[in-house]
Parts: sequence; C-alpha cells; structure tokens
Amino acid sequence: MGNSQTESFEKMIGAISRLLKNGEMVVTGTLSPLPAAGCLLAKHTHAPDLEPMLYGDPENRLSEGLHEFFGVAQKGKVDVFFLSGLQIDRQGSINLSVIGDYDRPKLRLPGGAGSAMLYSMSRRTILFTMTHTKKLFVPKVDFVNATAFDGEVKTPWRRGGLSHIVTPLCIMKFDDEKKRVVLDRLLPGVTLEEVVENTGFDLEAAGRDIPVMEPLTEEERIALHGPVLEKMRTIYPLVCRMIWG
Amino acid sequence: MKIRDDFKIVKDPYSGEDYVVVPPIIPDVAVIHGLKGDRFGGITVLGARNDRLLATAARKTIAVVEELVEPDEVLPGLQEVYVAPVHIDAVVVAPGAAHPTECPGRYGIDAGHIMTYLAAAKDEASFLNYLETYITGPADHEAYLEKVGFRPPERA
Repeated sequence: MGNSQTESFEKMIGAISRLLKNGEMVVTGTLSPLPAAGCLLAKHTHAPDLEPMLYGDPENRLSEGLHEFFGVAQKGKVDVFFLSGLQIDRQGSINLSVIGDYDRPKLRLPGGAGSAMLYSMSRRTILFTMTHTKKLFVPKVDFVNATAFDGEVKTPWRRGGLSHIVTPLCIMKFDDEKKRVVLDRLLPGVTLEEVVENTGFDLEAAGRDIPVMEPLTEEERIALHGPVLEKMRTIYPLVCRMIWG
Repeated sequence: MKIRDDFKIVKDPYSGEDYVVVPPIIPDVAVIHGLKGDRFGGITVLGARNDRLLATAARKTIAVVEELVEPDEVLPGLQEVYVAPVHIDAVVVAPGAAHPTECPGRYGIDAGHIMTYLAAAKDEASFLNYLETYITGPADHEAYLEKVGFRPPERA
C-alpha cells in the first residue's frame, strides 16, 4: 500500500479519534479497523476514560458470545457505534444488501446484520468509508438496511442516530433540523472540488466557509505508531500489515 | 417487511408498543469449532463467535475440536466460553480444523492460503481446480493439512 494511502487512513483515524468524547462507551463491530484505531487513539490522547469494546480484541472477554454486543446496545450502554455501507445517501440511510433491483440485483451483499438496531439504539453512530465515490454517496440508496432517524413511523426504541461520516476526503455531519447530511470539514490536503465531484448528492457547501481538519499532532502520531498500532496488530493483523507493513 | 412476509407486528403485552418480531432460526444441524472437548461433549468455544448460541439453538450439534481432554480440563481460556454436553451430539477431534482461518490463542490466519483461495474463487474453472486440489482430493483431514503445508502447534 502506498504512502499516500497510509497517510489518508491515518488522517481518518485522527478524525474519528477527535469525534469521540472522554468517558463515552464506544463499540466497533466486524471489519472496522479504522474505527478501532480511532477509538484506541482517542483513549491514548484526549480521552483516557473512553471505554472501547472492540470486536476481535483478544482482551475483550465475553460470557456467552457475539450476541452480547447487541445486548449491550439494546440496554442503552453504547454511546457511539460505527457502521459503513456499500451505499450511503443524503438522509444517512445505509445499504448493505443489494445494488440494483432487489429481485434482480447487480450485486448481492451480505446484508444488514443488526445494523438497523444498532443505528437506532446507540446514542450516536459514526459512519466510515474506505473510499469516497459517487457510487457510494448516492442521492437514494437502492435498499434501506438502516436509517439515520425515524421518519413518519416513530419507533419506541430509537435512542439516537447519525452523528458524522468520515471518508478518505472529508468529514460530513448530520444536520438534525434538516434531516440530511452536510459537509463539515475537509481532510488536510483535499480540495472542496474533489469532495463535490465525488459525492452524488448536494453537501450544501456552496457559500459556506468549509474548514480543514488540523493535521495529526505530534502527540497523536506518536500514540498512533506506538501503543495504538501495537494493540491493532493483535486485532487486525492482516489489515495492519497492508496499511503499515 | 415488504420482502419478508414472515416478519410480523405484535403488540408488546407489557408496554403496549408495537414491535416487529422475527421467527427464530432452528438449524437441523450446527457444525461448530471448539478448542477443548471431552468425551461427554463438554467443549470450550471462542466467546467472540456465536458458536454457543448455535449449539443451543440447533437440533443436533457437531463440535469439531482442536484437542481432546479430560472433563475436568474443559476449562475456558481467556477468550473462550463453555458449552455443556447437553447441547453437543458429536465431538470430532481435528487439530488445525479452523485452517485457513485463525484459531485465536492457538494459531493465526494463513494469509497465503486465503490469497490462493481468493484468486481461485474468481472464476468457475479455477474454483473447481481449487476444490479438487484441497477439498475433494485429499483423503482426510491429515492429507488436507499435508497438502496445504500446515502443522497446528502441539499442545503441552
């Protein structure tokens, strides 16, 4: 993996870290290396009392099985959960099931796997993506697995919803009043044009001053390449080898 | 609900709220991977999987374990949980059974073999060739381990 790719992932890890608040209970599920690294980075820098529960962490002991992760969320203990999608739309809905028509899909994906419940029952959800393209950020997802907020039908179990989206190009945030995703800030080295060109919906950046995320500090860099990476190699050995060698 | 007519809305008799309910999955047979097992069916499995849930849900459960031990030695390690014999119908002793995936605490993922599999899975012909070479070809588990060149670590 090239240096620029590694740098891009490190910026995302920094962005995720800074979105977390000290004391929060943060949970990452399967296939979530960047969020896991972000949680660990936060704990090693500005949020020492963060409570990460990272799927795949050998130190995370369970009494029965994986379903306990879901139970913890249902009880209302989870402040922040991380999700992704093959498609994400302006309303913050995610698609993990099919690309194209449901009965004659172009691509069949593994499915939602509890995402609908977790998106509802975690206090806030941060979406992350490994790419930033128009194919991913679409006006409307082909299939809705999980929603960022309750529409007309109010559910008794909705505790929270979309907070932010972290991509290799930018950070988006959810506008609670307008109920849509808008641009929050650019990652360092990225232009607004790049973001607009690669997003399939209006991020409402026109006429606004879009700030650029501060680059990783020396403290963050040292923590990331030290204790964070050391721990990450026990959880995601293959991914770490691909990103950091 | 549009595509799953077996999902139903019911009123929670306690709160009066509407809930969507989903029918349970009751597998006829579950095949799970355990670490330690005894001859009565007591086993330990990794906590970060759903093996215990699967074993308790299925009508019949076959446990493939890394190691056969005495009943008083079926003690879950740090990452493991215990599944009682009442849920297990058969124990198969096969060290290295999780290959090419990992068995945390015992052996890691065989990344090289996963890459071989990924490349083979790209088209029908190479996939059939993979099956013949590694799955249907080898006479038994020992022969498979020989073929892929994997030796599970010996336990003290």
